[in-house]
Amino acid sequence: MIEGVWLWITFAALALTTVITRGSFILIGEKGRLPPTVQRALRYAPASALAALIVPDLLLDHGHFHAFNPKLVAGAVIVAIALRTRNPWLPFILGMGVLIALRKGLGW
Amino acid sequence: MESAFRRGAREGMRAFLPISVGLVPWAIVTGIAMRSIGLSEVEAMGMSLLVFAATAQLGTLPLIASGAPLWLIFLTGLVLNLRFVIFSAAVAPAFHGHSLARRLASSYLLVDGVFVAVSEKLHTSDDPQWRWGCYLVPSLYGWTLWQVCSLVGVLGAGVVPRDWSLEFMATIALMIMLVPMVRTRPMLLAAVVGGLGTVLLRGLPLRLGLFVAIALGIAAGFAAEHWQERRAAR
Repeated sequence: MIEGVWLWITFAALALTTVITRGSFILIGEKGRLPPTVQRALRYAPASALAALIVPDLLLDHGHFHAFNPKLVAGAVIVAIALRTRNPWLPFILGMGVLIALRKGLGW
Repeated sequence: MESAFRRGAREGMRAFLPISVGLVPWAIVTGIAMRSIGLSEVEAMGMSLLVFAATAQLGTLPLIASGAPLWLIFLTGLVLNLRFVIFSAAVAPAFHGHSLARRLASSYLLVDGVFVAVSEKLHTSDDPQWRWGCYLVPSLYGWTLWQVCSLVGVLGAGVVPRDWSLEFMATIALMIMLVPMVRTRPMLLAAVVGGLGTVLLRGLPLRLGLFVAIALGIAAGFAAEHWQERRAAR
Protein backbone atom coordinates (compact mmCIF):
# COMPACT_ATOMS: atom_id res chain seq x y z
CA MET A 1 0.00 0.00 0.00
CA ILE A 2 1.30 3.45 -0.95
CA GLU A 3 1.05 5.83 2.01
CA GLY A 4 1.61 9.39 3.23
CA VAL A 5 3.27 11.91 0.91
CA TRP A 6 3.75 9.33 -1.83
CA LEU A 7 0.04 8.66 -1.91
CA TRP A 8 -0.67 12.36 -2.55
CA ILE A 9 2.09 12.47 -5.18
CA THR A 10 0.38 9.50 -6.83
CA PHE A 11 -2.97 11.35 -6.78
CA ALA A 12 -1.27 14.41 -8.31
CA ALA A 13 0.23 12.25 -11.06
CA LEU A 14 -3.19 10.76 -11.79
CA ALA A 15 -4.73 14.25 -11.79
CA LEU A 16 -2.13 15.12 -14.42
CA THR A 17 -3.31 12.24 -16.64
CA THR A 18 -6.85 13.65 -16.36
CA VAL A 19 -5.85 17.13 -17.48
CA ILE A 20 -3.33 15.97 -20.13
CA THR A 21 -5.85 13.76 -21.91
CA ARG A 22 -8.98 15.88 -21.48
CA GLY A 23 -7.13 19.10 -22.17
CA SER A 24 -5.03 17.79 -25.07
CA PHE A 25 -6.94 19.52 -27.86
CA ILE A 26 -8.91 22.03 -25.79
CA LEU A 27 -5.67 23.60 -24.51
CA ILE A 28 -3.71 23.49 -27.78
CA GLY A 29 -6.41 25.55 -29.48
CA GLU A 30 -6.71 26.20 -33.22
CA LYS A 31 -3.62 24.35 -34.43
CA GLY A 32 -4.33 20.90 -33.08
CA ARG A 33 -5.92 18.16 -35.12
CA LEU A 34 -5.74 14.39 -34.54
CA PRO A 35 -4.74 12.30 -37.60
CA PRO A 36 -7.80 10.19 -38.61
CA THR A 37 -5.81 6.92 -38.41
CA VAL A 38 -4.70 7.64 -34.86
CA GLN A 39 -8.24 8.65 -33.94
CA ARG A 40 -9.60 5.36 -35.28
CA ALA A 41 -6.95 3.28 -33.51
CA LEU A 42 -7.53 5.12 -30.21
CA ARG A 43 -11.19 4.09 -30.27
CA TYR A 44 -10.03 0.60 -29.30
CA ALA A 45 -7.94 1.76 -26.32
CA PRO A 46 -10.73 1.89 -23.71
CA ALA A 47 -12.16 -1.56 -24.51
CA SER A 48 -8.72 -3.15 -24.53
CA ALA A 49 -7.62 -1.39 -21.33
CA LEU A 50 -10.86 -2.11 -19.43
CA ALA A 51 -10.69 -5.82 -20.35
CA ALA A 52 -7.01 -5.90 -19.34
CA LEU A 53 -8.06 -4.83 -15.82
CA ILE A 54 -11.22 -6.95 -15.55
CA VAL A 55 -10.15 -10.34 -16.94
CA PRO A 56 -7.23 -10.96 -14.56
CA ASP A 57 -9.50 -10.25 -11.58
CA LEU A 58 -12.00 -12.82 -12.89
CA LEU A 59 -9.51 -15.56 -13.83
CA LEU A 60 -6.60 -15.23 -11.41
CA ASP A 61 -6.40 -15.94 -7.71
CA HIS A 62 -3.18 -14.56 -6.21
CA GLY A 63 -1.47 -14.86 -9.58
CA HIS A 64 -2.64 -18.42 -10.26
CA PHE A 65 -5.02 -19.38 -13.00
CA HIS A 66 -8.40 -20.68 -11.79
CA ALA A 67 -10.79 -21.24 -14.68
CA PHE A 68 -13.77 -21.93 -12.42
CA ASN A 69 -14.15 -19.63 -9.42
CA PRO A 70 -16.85 -17.52 -7.70
CA LYS A 71 -15.73 -14.27 -9.33
CA LEU A 72 -16.02 -15.75 -12.81
CA VAL A 73 -19.55 -16.98 -12.10
CA ALA A 74 -20.48 -13.53 -10.72
CA GLY A 75 -18.84 -11.98 -13.80
CA ALA A 76 -21.02 -14.08 -16.14
CA VAL A 77 -24.12 -12.93 -14.23
CA ILE A 78 -23.03 -9.28 -14.48
CA VAL A 79 -22.48 -9.51 -18.27
CA ALA A 80 -25.89 -11.14 -18.70
CA ILE A 81 -27.58 -8.34 -16.70
CA ALA A 82 -25.64 -5.55 -18.40
CA LEU A 83 -26.67 -6.88 -21.82
CA ARG A 84 -30.37 -6.96 -20.91
CA THR A 85 -31.00 -3.84 -18.83
CA ARG A 86 -29.74 -0.30 -18.49
CA ASN A 87 -30.67 -0.29 -14.80
CA PRO A 88 -27.58 1.16 -13.09
CA TRP A 89 -28.08 -0.66 -9.75
CA LEU A 90 -28.93 -4.24 -10.74
CA PRO A 91 -25.43 -5.42 -11.81
CA PHE A 92 -23.96 -4.28 -8.48
CA ILE A 93 -26.69 -5.83 -6.35
CA LEU A 94 -26.90 -9.18 -8.17
CA GLY A 95 -23.16 -9.40 -8.91
CA MET A 96 -22.19 -8.87 -5.27
CA GLY A 97 -25.12 -11.08 -4.19
CA VAL A 98 -23.88 -14.01 -6.27
CA LEU A 99 -20.28 -13.58 -5.12
CA ILE A 100 -21.17 -13.36 -1.43
CA ALA A 101 -23.66 -16.25 -1.70
CA LEU A 102 -21.07 -18.50 -3.35
CA ARG A 103 -18.30 -17.59 -0.91
CA LYS A 104 -20.33 -17.65 2.30
CA GLY A 105 -23.14 -20.04 1.46
CA LEU A 106 -21.05 -22.65 -0.32
CA GLY A 107 -17.73 -21.82 1.32
CA TRP A 108 -16.19 -21.71 -2.16
CA MET B 1 -24.85 38.36 -22.92
CA GLU B 2 -26.31 36.75 -19.84
CA SER B 3 -29.39 35.52 -21.61
CA ALA B 4 -27.36 33.67 -24.27
CA PHE B 5 -25.43 31.93 -21.47
CA ARG B 6 -28.70 31.01 -19.76
CA ARG B 7 -30.33 29.72 -22.91
CA GLY B 8 -27.26 27.57 -23.57
CA ALA B 9 -27.31 26.32 -19.99
CA ARG B 10 -30.97 25.34 -20.22
CA GLU B 11 -30.37 23.48 -23.49
CA GLY B 12 -27.37 21.62 -22.01
CA MET B 13 -29.19 20.68 -18.81
CA ARG B 14 -32.20 19.39 -20.73
CA ALA B 15 -29.91 16.95 -22.55
CA PHE B 16 -27.77 15.91 -19.56
CA LEU B 17 -30.33 15.72 -16.73
CA PRO B 18 -31.98 12.39 -17.74
CA ILE B 19 -28.69 10.51 -18.14
CA SER B 20 -27.08 12.04 -15.05
CA VAL B 21 -28.98 9.52 -12.87
CA GLY B 22 -26.53 6.87 -14.07
CA LEU B 23 -23.75 8.69 -12.19
CA VAL B 24 -25.27 7.96 -8.78
CA PRO B 25 -24.45 4.24 -8.26
CA TRP B 26 -21.16 4.62 -10.14
CA ALA B 27 -20.01 7.41 -7.80
CA ILE B 28 -21.15 5.60 -4.65
CA VAL B 29 -19.27 2.46 -5.74
CA THR B 30 -16.13 4.47 -6.51
CA GLY B 31 -16.34 5.92 -3.02
CA ILE B 32 -16.72 2.48 -1.46
CA ALA B 33 -13.93 0.99 -3.61
CA MET B 34 -11.45 3.69 -2.54
CA ARG B 35 -12.16 2.95 1.13
CA SER B 36 -12.01 -0.83 0.57
CA ILE B 37 -8.28 -0.74 -0.28
CA GLY B 38 -7.58 1.16 2.94
CA LEU B 39 -7.66 4.85 2.02
CA SER B 40 -8.89 7.14 4.81
CA GLU B 41 -11.97 9.35 4.27
CA VAL B 42 -9.77 12.40 3.60
CA GLU B 43 -7.47 10.51 1.22
CA ALA B 44 -10.41 9.05 -0.69
CA MET B 45 -12.10 12.45 -1.14
CA GLY B 46 -8.73 13.99 -2.02
CA MET B 47 -8.35 11.42 -4.79
CA SER B 48 -11.92 12.04 -5.94
CA LEU B 49 -11.44 15.84 -6.14
CA LEU B 50 -7.97 15.74 -7.71
CA VAL B 51 -8.35 12.92 -10.21
CA PHE B 52 -12.10 13.18 -10.99
CA ALA B 53 -11.93 10.22 -13.42
CA ALA B 54 -13.73 7.11 -12.21
CA THR B 55 -12.18 4.61 -14.61
CA ALA B 56 -8.66 5.80 -13.85
CA GLN B 57 -9.41 5.80 -10.10
CA LEU B 58 -10.95 2.31 -10.07
CA GLY B 59 -8.31 0.91 -12.41
CA THR B 60 -5.34 2.16 -10.40
CA LEU B 61 -6.68 1.28 -6.93
CA PRO B 62 -5.27 -2.30 -7.04
CA LEU B 63 -1.89 -0.86 -8.09
CA ILE B 64 -1.94 1.65 -5.22
CA ALA B 65 -2.93 -1.14 -2.82
CA SER B 66 -0.05 -3.37 -3.95
CA GLY B 67 2.50 -0.53 -3.79
CA ALA B 68 3.25 -0.49 -7.53
CA PRO B 69 5.85 2.01 -8.84
CA LEU B 70 4.62 5.55 -9.58
CA TRP B 71 5.42 5.43 -13.32
CA LEU B 72 3.31 2.31 -13.71
CA ILE B 73 0.34 3.93 -11.96
CA PHE B 74 0.81 7.08 -14.06
CA LEU B 75 0.91 5.09 -17.34
CA THR B 76 -2.12 3.02 -16.35
CA GLY B 77 -4.07 6.20 -15.56
CA LEU B 78 -2.98 7.67 -18.88
CA VAL B 79 -4.13 4.63 -20.87
CA LEU B 80 -7.47 4.54 -19.04
CA ASN B 81 -7.98 8.22 -19.83
CA LEU B 82 -6.93 7.95 -23.49
CA ARG B 83 -10.52 8.06 -24.75
CA PHE B 84 -10.68 11.68 -23.56
CA VAL B 85 -8.13 12.66 -26.22
CA ILE B 86 -10.81 11.83 -28.78
CA PHE B 87 -13.48 13.72 -26.80
CA SER B 88 -11.12 16.66 -26.39
CA ALA B 89 -10.49 16.82 -30.14
CA ALA B 90 -14.23 16.71 -30.76
CA VAL B 91 -15.23 19.57 -28.41
CA ALA B 92 -12.11 21.75 -28.81
CA PRO B 93 -13.55 23.99 -31.59
CA ALA B 94 -16.27 25.12 -29.16
CA PHE B 95 -13.64 26.71 -26.89
CA HIS B 96 -11.64 28.63 -29.48
CA GLY B 97 -11.17 32.19 -28.31
CA HIS B 98 -11.90 31.41 -24.66
CA SER B 99 -9.33 32.27 -21.97
CA LEU B 100 -6.75 29.73 -20.79
CA ALA B 101 -8.42 29.57 -17.35
CA ARG B 102 -11.75 28.65 -18.92
CA ARG B 103 -10.12 26.06 -21.17
CA LEU B 104 -8.29 24.53 -18.17
CA ALA B 105 -11.56 24.32 -16.24
CA SER B 106 -13.31 22.81 -19.27
CA SER B 107 -10.54 20.21 -19.54
CA TYR B 108 -10.79 19.12 -15.91
CA LEU B 109 -14.60 18.93 -16.16
CA LEU B 110 -14.80 16.93 -19.43
CA VAL B 111 -16.57 13.63 -18.64
CA ASP B 112 -18.30 10.93 -20.68
CA GLY B 113 -21.90 11.79 -19.76
CA VAL B 114 -21.72 15.51 -20.51
CA PHE B 115 -19.75 14.81 -23.69
CA VAL B 116 -22.41 12.42 -24.95
CA ALA B 117 -25.17 14.89 -24.06
CA VAL B 118 -23.83 18.18 -25.43
CA SER B 119 -20.95 17.60 -27.89
CA GLU B 120 -23.25 17.76 -30.94
CA LYS B 121 -25.10 20.82 -29.64
CA LEU B 122 -21.86 22.74 -29.11
CA HIS B 123 -21.39 22.96 -32.86
CA THR B 124 -24.88 24.30 -33.51
CA SER B 125 -24.34 27.81 -32.12
CA ASP B 126 -22.04 30.63 -33.22
CA ASP B 127 -22.45 32.41 -29.89
CA PRO B 128 -19.48 31.64 -27.57
CA GLN B 129 -21.55 32.61 -24.50
CA TRP B 130 -24.30 30.16 -25.46
CA ARG B 131 -21.73 27.39 -25.94
CA TRP B 132 -20.06 28.21 -22.62
CA GLY B 133 -23.39 27.95 -20.78
CA CYS B 134 -24.36 24.77 -22.59
CA TYR B 135 -21.09 23.11 -21.53
CA LEU B 136 -20.29 24.65 -18.14
CA VAL B 137 -23.62 24.36 -16.32
CA PRO B 138 -24.26 20.62 -16.97
CA SER B 139 -20.57 19.95 -16.25
CA LEU B 140 -20.70 21.72 -12.87
CA TYR B 141 -23.96 19.98 -12.00
CA GLY B 142 -22.42 16.60 -12.95
CA TRP B 143 -19.29 17.34 -10.93
CA THR B 144 -21.32 18.27 -7.84
CA LEU B 145 -23.58 15.22 -8.12
CA TRP B 146 -20.51 13.02 -8.57
CA GLN B 147 -18.61 14.38 -5.55
CA VAL B 148 -21.66 14.26 -3.25
CA CYS B 149 -22.43 10.63 -4.20
CA SER B 150 -18.75 9.68 -3.87
CA LEU B 151 -18.83 11.16 -0.37
CA VAL B 152 -21.89 9.02 0.41
CA GLY B 153 -19.92 5.93 -0.66
CA VAL B 154 -16.80 6.99 1.23
CA LEU B 155 -18.74 7.56 4.47
CA GLY B 156 -21.01 4.54 3.98
CA ALA B 157 -18.21 2.06 3.27
CA GLY B 158 -17.43 1.64 6.96
CA VAL B 159 -20.92 0.26 7.66
CA VAL B 160 -20.42 -2.77 5.38
CA PRO B 161 -18.67 -5.84 6.86
CA ARG B 162 -15.03 -6.31 5.79
CA ASP B 163 -15.40 -9.84 4.42
CA TRP B 164 -17.95 -8.86 1.76
CA SER B 165 -15.21 -8.47 -0.89
CA LEU B 166 -16.38 -4.93 -1.68
CA GLU B 167 -13.31 -4.33 -3.86
CA PHE B 168 -15.08 -6.52 -6.44
CA MET B 169 -17.50 -3.62 -6.99
CA ALA B 170 -14.70 -1.82 -8.83
CA THR B 171 -14.51 -4.70 -11.29
CA ILE B 172 -18.30 -4.69 -11.68
CA ALA B 173 -18.21 -0.95 -12.42
CA LEU B 174 -15.54 -1.47 -15.08
CA MET B 175 -17.58 -4.33 -16.60
CA ILE B 176 -20.71 -2.16 -16.86
CA MET B 177 -18.64 0.32 -18.80
CA LEU B 178 -17.10 -2.34 -21.06
CA VAL B 179 -20.21 -4.34 -22.03
CA PRO B 180 -21.98 -1.63 -24.10
CA MET B 181 -18.66 -0.82 -25.78
CA VAL B 182 -18.16 -4.22 -27.36
CA ARG B 183 -21.14 -4.22 -29.72
CA THR B 184 -18.97 -4.62 -32.84
CA ARG B 185 -16.66 -7.53 -33.64
CA PRO B 186 -13.44 -5.49 -33.87
CA MET B 187 -14.26 -3.96 -30.46
CA LEU B 188 -14.92 -7.42 -29.00
CA LEU B 189 -11.64 -8.68 -30.41
CA ALA B 190 -9.76 -5.71 -28.89
CA ALA B 191 -11.28 -6.58 -25.49
CA VAL B 192 -10.58 -10.32 -25.75
CA VAL B 193 -6.96 -9.78 -26.80
CA GLY B 194 -6.40 -7.10 -24.16
CA GLY B 195 -7.99 -9.21 -21.41
CA LEU B 196 -6.58 -12.65 -22.14
CA GLY B 197 -3.25 -11.12 -23.19
CA THR B 198 -2.83 -9.62 -19.72
CA VAL B 199 -3.47 -13.02 -18.11
CA LEU B 200 -1.08 -14.86 -20.46
CA LEU B 201 1.67 -12.22 -20.24
CA ARG B 202 1.46 -11.78 -16.45
CA GLY B 203 4.95 -13.30 -16.10
CA LEU B 204 6.63 -10.30 -17.77
CA PRO B 205 8.64 -8.11 -15.38
CA LEU B 206 7.33 -4.76 -13.99
CA ARG B 207 3.78 -5.66 -15.05
CA LEU B 208 4.76 -4.75 -18.59
CA GLY B 209 2.39 -7.50 -19.73
CA LEU B 210 -0.50 -5.11 -19.02
CA PHE B 211 0.73 -2.56 -21.56
CA VAL B 212 1.85 -5.09 -24.15
CA ALA B 213 -1.60 -6.72 -23.95
CA ILE B 214 -3.46 -3.38 -24.23
CA ALA B 215 -1.33 -2.41 -27.25
CA LEU B 216 -1.98 -5.81 -28.85
CA GLY B 217 -5.70 -5.36 -28.19
CA ILE B 218 -5.75 -1.94 -29.91
CA ALA B 219 -3.78 -3.36 -32.85
CA ALA B 220 -6.10 -6.38 -33.13
CA GLY B 221 -9.25 -4.22 -33.10
CA PHE B 222 -7.82 -1.81 -35.67
CA ALA B 223 -6.65 -4.66 -37.93
CA ALA B 224 -10.04 -6.38 -37.69
CA GLU B 225 -11.80 -3.13 -38.66
CA HIS B 226 -9.57 -2.78 -41.73
CA TRP B 227 -10.15 -6.38 -42.72
CA GLN B 228 -13.91 -6.02 -42.28
CA GLU B 229 -13.96 -2.91 -44.47
CA ARG B 230 -11.88 -4.53 -47.19
CA ARG B 231 -14.24 -7.47 -47.25
CA ALA B 232 -17.29 -5.23 -47.39
CA ALA B 233 -15.80 -3.24 -50.27
CA ARG B 234 -15.29 -6.33 -52.38
